Amino acid sequence: MIRLLQRVGQGLLLRVEKGFNAVFGAELNPMYQLGAILFFLFWVVLGSGFYLYAFYRTGVSEAFSSVEKITHEQWYLGGIMRSLHRYASDGMVIVVLVHMVRNFVKNRLSGFRAFSWFTGIVLLLLLFISGINGYWLVWDKLAQFVAVATTEFLDWLPVFVSPLVRNFLTTDSVNDRFFSLLSFMHLGIPLAMLIFVMVHTQRVSGAKTQPSRPLAIGWGLTLLVLAIVKPALSQGGQADLSTAASQIKLDWFFMAIYPLIYAWSPGQLWALVGGFLAVLLFLPLLTRNRRMKEGFQIATAPSMRTFSAKPGETVLEAALRQDIRLPHVCRDGACGTCKGTILHGTVDYGVYQEGTLSEQEKQAGKALFCCATPLSDLEIEYYENETLKQVPVKLMQCRVHKMERVTPEVMVLYLKLPQGSKLQFFAGQYLDILLEDGARRSFSFANAPNDYEFIQLHIRLIPGGRFTTHVFTQMKEGDELSFEGPLGTFFLNEASDKPIIFVAGATGFAPVKSMLDHAFFIGSKRRMLLYWGVRMRRDLYMADLPERWEREHDNFTFVPVLSEPGSDANWQGRTGLVHEAILQDFPDLSGFQIYSCGSLQMVQAARPAFLAQGLPENACFSDAFLLTTPKIVQPAEEVQT
Amino acid sequence: MSQPLKYMGQGLAYALFAVVLGYFSTSPEYTHMPADYALVKLSFNHAAQRKKPCHERTDAEMAKLARNMQIRKDCPRERSDVVVELELDGKQLYHVVLPPPGLSHDGAASIYRRLPVPAGTHRFVARLKDKLEGDFNFVREENITLGAGKVMVIDFKADVPGAPGFIFKN
Repeated sequence: MIRLLQRVGQGLLLRVEKGFNAVFGAELNPMYQLGAILFFLFWVVLGSGFYLYAFYRTGVSEAFSSVEKITHEQWYLGGIMRSLHRYASDGMVIVVLVHMVRNFVKNRLSGFRAFSWFTGIVLLLLLFISGINGYWLVWDKLAQFVAVATTEFLDWLPVFVSPLVRNFLTTDSVNDRFFSLLSFMHLGIPLAMLIFVMVHTQRVSGAKTQPSRPLAIGWGLTLLVLAIVKPALSQGGQADLSTAASQIKLDWFFMAIYPLIYAWSPGQLWALVGGFLAVLLFLPLLTRNRRMKEGFQIATAPSMRTFSAKPGETVLEAALRQDIRLPHVCRDGACGTCKGTILHGTVDYGVYQEGTLSEQEKQAGKALFCCATPLSDLEIEYYENETLKQVPVKLMQCRVHKMERVTPEVMVLYLKLPQGSKLQFFAGQYLDILLEDGARRSFSFANAPNDYEFIQLHIRLIPGGRFTTHVFTQMKEGDELSFEGPLGTFFLNEASDKPIIFVAGATGFAPVKSMLDHAFFIGSKRRMLLYWGVRMRRDLYMADLPERWEREHDNFTFVPVLSEPGSDANWQGRTGLVHEAILQDFPDLSGFQIYSCGSLQMVQAARPAFLAQGLPENACFSDAFLLTTPKIVQPAEEVQT
Repeated sequence: MSQPLKYMGQGLAYALFAVVLGYFSTSPEYTHMPADYALVKLSFNHAAQRKKPCHERTDAEMAKLARNMQIRKDCPRERSDVVVELELDGKQLYHVVLPPPGLSHDGAASIYRRLPVPAGTHRFVARLKDKLEGDFNFVREENITLGAGKVMVIDFKADVPGAPGFIFKN
């Protein structure tokens, strides 16, 4: 029965998530950031709560009047804060419930996850207690109803010597100290929540506690607009225990069960609540996977790392827990970033978005590591370079110092880092420009690491591309950019002394330029050839540079190749596809290393041809193949080499 | 999906969320009690009389007790049930027998009962018996007019000098 519920739920959930993916994209899909959104809402509740507390008066007669004063006399701030406080709390209820349903449907509640599930139940209870407690503080007609109904409900439990509800029999029954107690509880319970949240997320590998900025802005604005359009107001004037309200506007997110106290009886409602809690507590036991009794060992190749996976733990979770940074973004089988190769062993592929992993890919040993759980010991493909630890990845700001349009389709950007900042990287690596909505665009460094005054990027205009169009039409010198970098494992292998053939396609020249600059800087005497393939002569946007290198360095040869020379009668050089020129020139590639930089199509066409002509597999490098990110499946604009 | 469409979709999703949040934070309205009704709350704590009166132990009885238990006055702790009745316009509205709580059945019995009644003038009769035998030893009857939405509290205090018994607060 439970499995059936989960299967049906999975189908529905994947459809909903697919819809959100279409609109928000996998990186900003709120369904993949529910925990982080809860943190955000919690901070909104906390921040607005502290503001309200500064003006709140704890007294029978002052409580209501102080809330009214906050709401109406400073509606532009106090009123907004009150509304934000309410709506963010209500939002938390929705998000918590979706978060729980999602984890149930995806069967992420048993085994090692049970701890988070149980602490989540405690958090759910604390959220409701805190929310209901908050409504008492206003001391209006709704507060009166909630206070009386809550105590009538609690009095059913045979633990109180005298009925609690007697504290609300008459107006004289309530005193000022009661409000001091309420305030104390309303501060203490969220504090307890904060502690439990820390405990709750402690066992989640790489738990995200901040939503993406665009998502935070979206949620914040939504709450703000709602606060302005429909401000939270008190109901029916100050509480008066000598009268009972007939009609009440309940906050159904917190009080949905209150009418049942009277429609049924407190005892029946306790049975419902107790039963529901019992089901929640037993669910981990009922949904545990009996097949997964033991954990498995996972080894990586060629990087010789091993780590263990707990029963039911995904490969990604296990890796992150043991500080192995497998690539990932959405962690829910939608973006495909975590797609990797299983060299040995079997996995349960898990639940993921249709189209992210095809049957052919499964046959070829691919899996989404964020969804796949091991069914045996595994060996997975993972490239890690110890030397990468020397160049830590940073989030940085920079300024566009200079823009040089070298051809109608290519712009060279020179980016200046803030005063005193320095970025270390290896020649061949890239950075991710961070767009406002959280999207990223990858570009290789075109400058050598020693040339650190400016970061140089070569941007090719992609028709319809959001960022590249912006670069060509709106960007101006002085603009600010955010980026993350350096990234990637594609860089010059300085340990070898084999001759190198660089294959560059169009702006694939950028990382090659960086590597060659670096090689000349360190005085490398290896034989190096650059085959730069473009459509027309004008696309060789920096041809004078490799020509100069050729004149200055005996060990360097430059071979430009045009694929569409057209009517360029003066062109005496090579024509055709760039990799074919190499194949013609070198019938035996066994003694070479080849670094390919360019479009995916070029790399895909060249690699098998090179291997067929004797190039050892471990001597064939390309950013498209070696980057352990899924950029090969992304639209052209998202990565330029 | 094109970028403008995506933004529209995001706007729509946020708007939908705001509508759900805004609507269910106050709607639909809940009818707690019919508009033309008043509420009677019967509530009190009362320790009933002891089932057996205190008595002086005889020397023979004392001799049977351990030395540290030899106290002359013997007061059995167990109390009587409290029987409560509420009558409205000649009809019984509520009747309950409250046993004394506690392991020794010697605690004060507590009651809280909410009774919605139509608004208007009614004759209330409240009766209470807190002893083992005999008829109700506390009775109060009164004509009371209750407006719609008004709450009347029926309390009981046995320790009010000169006028122990029910208190009608409206």
